[in-house]
Amino acid sequence: MMNRPVPLTKADLMQVESPARYVGGEYNAIVKEDMLEELSRTGKTSYVRFAFCFPDIYEIGMSNLALQILYHVLNESPFVACERAFSPWLDMDKILREKNIPLYSLETKTPLCDFDILGFTLGYEMCYTNVLQMLDLGHIPFYAKDRGENDPIICCGGPVTYNIEPMADFFDIVMMGEGEEMILELSEKIREFKLSKDTDHPMTKEELLRNCDTIEGVYVPALYSFSYDKCTGAVITPVDDTVKKSITKRIISDLDHCSYPTTPVVSNLRVVHDRSYLEVFRGCIRGCRFCQAGFIYRPVREKSVEVLCEQGRLLEENTGYDEMGLLSLATSDYTKFPELAENLLSTFEGHHTSLSLPSLRLDSFSLDLMEKVQSTRKSGLTFAPEAGTQRLRDVINKNIREDDIFSALRLAFMGGWSTVKLYFMLGLPTETDEDVLGIADLAARIEKLYYDVGRETGQKMRRLEITVSTSLFIPKPFTPFQWEPQNSKEELIRKQRLLKDHIRSRNIRYAWHDFDSSVWEVVLARGDRRLAPVLLEGYQSGHFFDAWDDHFRYDDWVAILEKHGLSIEDFSREFSEEETLPWDHISVGVKKSFLLSERHKAHEETTTPSCREHCSGCGVACFGVGECFAKRNVNKEESSDAAK
Amino acid sequence: MLQSEREKMMTMQQHQTAYVQRCKFTRTGATVYLGHLDLMTCFERAARRAGLPILYSQGYNPRPMMVFALPLGVGIETMCDYLDVSLDRPYDPDHFVKEMNAHLPSGLQLLTSKAIPEPKDSIMSIVTTASYRFEAKGIRKAMETAMEQETLVVEKMAKGKVKQTDIRPLLICLSQASDEDPDAVTFYAFAGSERNVRPDLILNSLCTYCGMDRALSENTRVIRTGLFSGTYPRIVPIEDVEVRPNTAGA
Ligand code: SF4
Repeated sequence: MMNRPVPLTKADLMQVESPARYVGGEYNAIVKEDMLEELSRTGKTSYVRFAFCFPDIYEIGMSNLALQILYHVLNESPFVACERAFSPWLDMDKILREKNIPLYSLETKTPLCDFDILGFTLGYEMCYTNVLQMLDLGHIPFYAKDRGENDPIICCGGPVTYNIEPMADFFDIVMMGEGEEMILELSEKIREFKLSKDTDHPMTKEELLRNCDTIEGVYVPALYSFSYDKCTGAVITPVDDTVKKSITKRIISDLDHCSYPTTPVVSNLRVVHDRSYLEVFRGCIRGCRFCQAGFIYRPVREKSVEVLCEQGRLLEENTGYDEMGLLSLATSDYTKFPELAENLLSTFEGHHTSLSLPSLRLDSFSLDLMEKVQSTRKSGLTFAPEAGTQRLRDVINKNIREDDIFSALRLAFMGGWSTVKLYFMLGLPTETDEDVLGIADLAARIEKLYYDVGRETGQKMRRLEITVSTSLFIPKPFTPFQWEPQNSKEELIRKQRLLKDHIRSRNIRYAWHDFDSSVWEVVLARGDRRLAPVLLEGYQSGHFFDAWDDHFRYDDWVAILEKHGLSIEDFSREFSEEETLPWDHISVGVKKSFLLSERHKAHEETTTPSCREHCSGCGVACFGVGECFAKRNVNKEESSDAAK
Repeated sequence: MLQSEREKMMTMQQHQTAYVQRCKFTRTGATVYLGHLDLMTCFERAARRAGLPILYSQGYNPRPMMVFALPLGVGIETMCDYLDVSLDRPYDPDHFVKEMNAHLPSGLQLLTSKAIPEPKDSIMSIVTTASYRFEAKGIRKAMETAMEQETLVVEKMAKGKVKQTDIRPLLICLSQASDEDPDAVTFYAFAGSERNVRPDLILNSLCTYCGMDRALSENTRVIRTGLFSGTYPRIVPIEDVEVRPNTAGA
């Protein structure tokens, strides 16, 4: 198909907020000139044209690491041309609709419907309706079944796709797990499909999809049928026995040798997080029972410190950002963290580049390092005890002890820190009022410690600022709490009030999270295919940008849900251990039996050690890499040493 | 190091001699849609990528020391704008241009640079006049009509309130040199920190006073073609302005 750039005028762009969102032209953006040349010469191209779609606005998408990684991986391939597209904000949305201009890619301004494949990255459930917006504006039919042989293939990946069921009917292909290798295998299949069109035996879309089903980690929703009844739950069955019965996620075994974007696209516009990202490791050794990331990203795989230092150096040099973020689920769990931090800091010496460590665990932190790391900026100390009492922290397996918090804080206060942020969750399984009040109590004792330190050391203390912030517990698939009910809205409101009434010091501020969206998030997180028409109807009556609190209309969504014979309770209830869960055909490597035993241990208030202390046999060792084995080999050596 | 010690160190830092590159740049393409702050960030990052020895401002949030002659509004192209970049050592201007151009996003480009001493008068303070080129169907006639008016009162947002303001005194004259193309016009207007007129206000006045179609005015291509110091007609392009060195800090 000819390249036909969209006809947006200067006046159109001048009408919208931040027009730079819609024009591209960034440093390190990739335009495959020979593809354009081929298109203008012959009217078609042998390149697989891939539109990487981010279902939120530009500024958010450009801070997304998955986008940068896969954009880079795809464009490294000699036969793929990957471009980016983002959700247009409401002002541009309106212009595109009124003028009937299709949503387009930033690199070559090509309408989405002219691409061979669209790949959405889904990082949070609330972006689902924006996928529909992008399809709609891209002039592409919503439902996979309504799309013809010449429509693009629509695929997705990302953490929430492990339960893609509410959106399954809209996608042709879903990628489970880490995409670097899978996305290229998929592109290869698309290429075969595309090239076959010019032969005597053009491949049909059905053939293509069945072909893709042979790729490990790929889920083709159309090849599975869905049924629901109250007793059995949501059951997904392969349409015939050539289709794989369950889909196991993909992981990258060796991160050192996996392509990493050291030349990421640098936005011209200042975005949400104006910094480069250095991903340190994947997975988490901890196993907090509420945390989906802690289970779906297993096993822990680290990059070597040499590779990280080199990538860090290149990133700083190639982006010009004055800040670099170390990215992982718990940065200080990186085995050579001090060495890495020291090395990066010396690389940045004199450059006015700072290091940000968003997930530093303060039970093991070194204040010295914190001081050095935040040499230019000083934000507060952050702790995430998640629960107010040790009992409840044992339930959720948050292995952070009060002694650790207090000894760390004592040092910090002596060093002059005076801002503390505390993160908690309300509505956790087994939570009682005592646990809720425990939050207020903990904050009050931290306040007391601060002034005690002042008295002991005779230091003049600045005013202390403690922020207590609570989010709401959301039971997520692939966690030990996947069966747990969510507290009712009324109960959550009551608990919030209770906590608020018990925080009385003017040094302690209470920041709470809006609960409407957390209630809806449960519906999407644990939903099944019955939700597709609900989401579509919601979108069509004007609801999208649900991730934006001002745009999210809870009451409207509940009304639409009920119109379709469903209720919030259907998804926030306790799921029975016997019923089939909507995501049971997907495997993240962690066995369901392990999750179940973890659930039972939670109710017995028993903790599980971290993977580094002791392997609990979750099942992820099936991938044959990472932490699971490092430990085992050491143990083996130890025992063979002992034998000698 | 503790906060208090750091504070001490910062105030201890001596005034460093700045070696300034006075650069002329253009912007076209996608970067035309950047606001001024984003534009500045683009230049800062390019200089950082190029590894140039830029000086940073002091304080808690050090920024590369770059001063732009005149902010460039969203949607305005430029063929001729200026900025001063402070370096910590002398640097070859041609090399500076080459390095910056290799690291700027497409659409931004340095044309020339000149090594100057740290100036006594900031580059912002010496700008008095700008020239612009408008391109749209029949724009020359509309602009000629505008110049014939006694007043051109337009609405302008100031501090959250709509204010009436007469922009006619801010327009100096149409360029004699421009050719007879009826669909393009170049003119001079006051610019800088004392008196300044935004091109979009001029276009608005063309709609109100000269019967220009609103949609056409919105789609008019606006190009800044020059920035000058002095009083018209005795104006000097910024790059030719003689620099008085700042002796105070030394
Ligand atoms: S197999 Fe063992 S070490 Fe590996 S992730 Fe599971 S519990 Fe942790």
